[in-house]
Amino acid sequence: MTATPTTQPALRLAAITMSFGPIEVIKGVNLDIRAGERHAVIGPNGAGKSTLFNLISGLFAPTSGEIFLNGNSIAGLSPHLINRAGLARSFQITNIFHRMSVFENLRIGVLARHGVRYGLFRPVARMRQVNEETAEVLARVGLESRGHDLAGDLTYSEQRALEIGMTLTTGAEVILLDEPTAGMSREETEKAIDLIRTVTEGKTLLMVEHDMGVVFSLCDRVSVLVYGDIIATDTPERISANRAVQEAYLGEEAAS
Amino acid sequence: MMTMRNLLLLAIALALLVVVPPFLGLGWQNMLVNVLIASLFALAFNLLIGQAGLLSFGHAAYFGVGAFAALHLMRAIEGGLPFPTPLVPLAGAAAGLLIGLIAGYFATMRSGVYFALVTLAIAELFHSLAPQLEGVFGGESGISSMRMPWNGIVFGSMIEVYYLTLAWVLVCGLALWAYTRTPFGRLTLALRDNEQRVRFLGYSAHTAKVIIFTVSAMLTAVAGSLQAISIETANYSLFASNVSAQVVLQTFVGGSTVFFGPVIGATAFTLFSFLVSDLTRSWVFYQGLIFVLVMLYVPTGIGGVIQHHIHNRRQLDWRNMAGHYVLAFVGGLLLTAGVVFLTETVAVLFGEEYARARHSAEGGLPPFDLFGASWAPSGLLTWLLPIVLLIGGGALLIRARRRISTIWDRKGPSSATAAEPLLAGGAK
Repeated sequence: MTATPTTQPALRLAAITMSFGPIEVIKGVNLDIRAGERHAVIGPNGAGKSTLFNLISGLFAPTSGEIFLNGNSIAGLSPHLINRAGLARSFQITNIFHRMSVFENLRIGVLARHGVRYGLFRPVARMRQVNEETAEVLARVGLESRGHDLAGDLTYSEQRALEIGMTLTTGAEVILLDEPTAGMSREETEKAIDLIRTVTEGKTLLMVEHDMGVVFSLCDRVSVLVYGDIIATDTPERISANRAVQEAYLGEEAAS
Repeated sequence: MMTMRNLLLLAIALALLVVVPPFLGLGWQNMLVNVLIASLFALAFNLLIGQAGLLSFGHAAYFGVGAFAALHLMRAIEGGLPFPTPLVPLAGAAAGLLIGLIAGYFATMRSGVYFALVTLAIAELFHSLAPQLEGVFGGESGISSMRMPWNGIVFGSMIEVYYLTLAWVLVCGLALWAYTRTPFGRLTLALRDNEQRVRFLGYSAHTAKVIIFTVSAMLTAVAGSLQAISIETANYSLFASNVSAQVVLQTFVGGSTVFFGPVIGATAFTLFSFLVSDLTRSWVFYQGLIFVLVMLYVPTGIGGVIQHHIHNRRQLDWRNMAGHYVLAFVGGLLLTAGVVFLTETVAVLFGEEYARARHSAEGGLPPFDLFGASWAPSGLLTWLLPIVLLIGGGALLIRARRRISTIWDRKGPSSATAAEPLLAGGAK
């Protein structure tokens, strides 16, 4: 069924299954994410989208199947090793360091990329390269003026931007974004789309998204996950014309 | 950045710590040594709870390990080992590091309640094993040694011990402060805020927690060795749960969210027990009461309150507030007087001595002496006085508190930012 692509996929899921007790939540998912593409996973609530992300990023180990990142198996590795292998993710529910400054939130990831993970013998304030790169990411996500504020004091959409910024800091080439525009107003969503487009330039993006508008304006391909199974993978236009997808959604989102 | 003002304050405090003690009596010098040791213990402990968000209920283990390691080295020096006495705490540090690494490896596999329980169990393990292990812990009586002279310094007087302790506590305290400014120090805060996110940013949370635990245990053990040097003996009671509990109380009353908070708590408790333990047997009860009240009404501790005021000093209407603070203080004093009177009365009436007095009075209720006066147990005044004190003080305090909080509510936006360097976390 899957023709071997000429170039190696950035991320490959091969017959992934995941069971919580007797309940099989992911039922043999096969998916190739091409290097450099922006790929969305859509599907009704409870389809297993978040579980799929948790499997790829290492929060859970799959019950069976394999996951390859640039050809290397990462299934079952712990999250920090998967991150070091070049995959970073954001979270659906904002997952930041609330009682630290915005700048410091980003610096934690930058430090990890520079390999000074457990540095104890130099003040962090003197690490110029690290601080400059942190300031750069801060500017890229449009939070320059908020650097010294507590992350917990940011507005919701600012926190979402910070969340995306943190995902970028470790320098991963494959980025997973879990509903980055959830809970945003129309205007905020527009800004978030622009932000995601610029910051993922040249990287591989896999995102869970409910908003078909976002998917259309951002993604090259879409996969539809229903009851733990991918029923279709195609361009956004062809997906929205797909009969099976429309049925799965009962006309809700794809038809709009 | 450290401001000039902070630097100046620190310099003054340091000068006082160096200059004043020689003019104090032996009891006070000894008390200051205990303050310093308790401060280092609490600072090292707070690395876990205040910065990493890990509550250890068994830090007595590392304090005790440090003390015993130091005593073994001191005995070796007595036996002729050419090792400089001032460096004895290094033995404690090494032992604390080793034991901390092993204990930390297992304890930090879990977080929250489970972490607290594992640390508690490890301390209990030491507490129950120590009396059996004659060779290492000297059985039930423990081990003793003597401070040997080094380079002309005899270490015979308390003031010499004081300066040695001061030097070690300053070095370790500074190291802990510097720690907060390193990449790993910042990671420690991140772990407290959100361990899961740390893992997804490429860090092994377990490795990080083991390192934090080890550093904390190592410096706790240095505090333990300083105590061993000071009192020249140690036994298994050092591992008792009340030692572990004491440092928890001190840290929280002082304020775990502020770097110097634990020092405030350690100083307050040591001073309190020094001043009050001779006066009344109920001092442990008062200690517990203070802890409960602080947790209920000022959960960020004394340090947290001070810091909160400093942060908002420009926005606050001090002139209007001062009177209410005085009123609150007076109310607090009256309330304290009422509580103390009632506590002491009850302690006397249910005490052994009074039971004997009753016996000789053939079951009657003879008057008793308290605060230099005689009181009749059935007298109206005996019970009216504390009740009036309690109600009056309470009413005053509640009124003042209400006024103070309205003034606080009127103030402008807080100037506090996350950049405050003395902060271990954002005290709110």
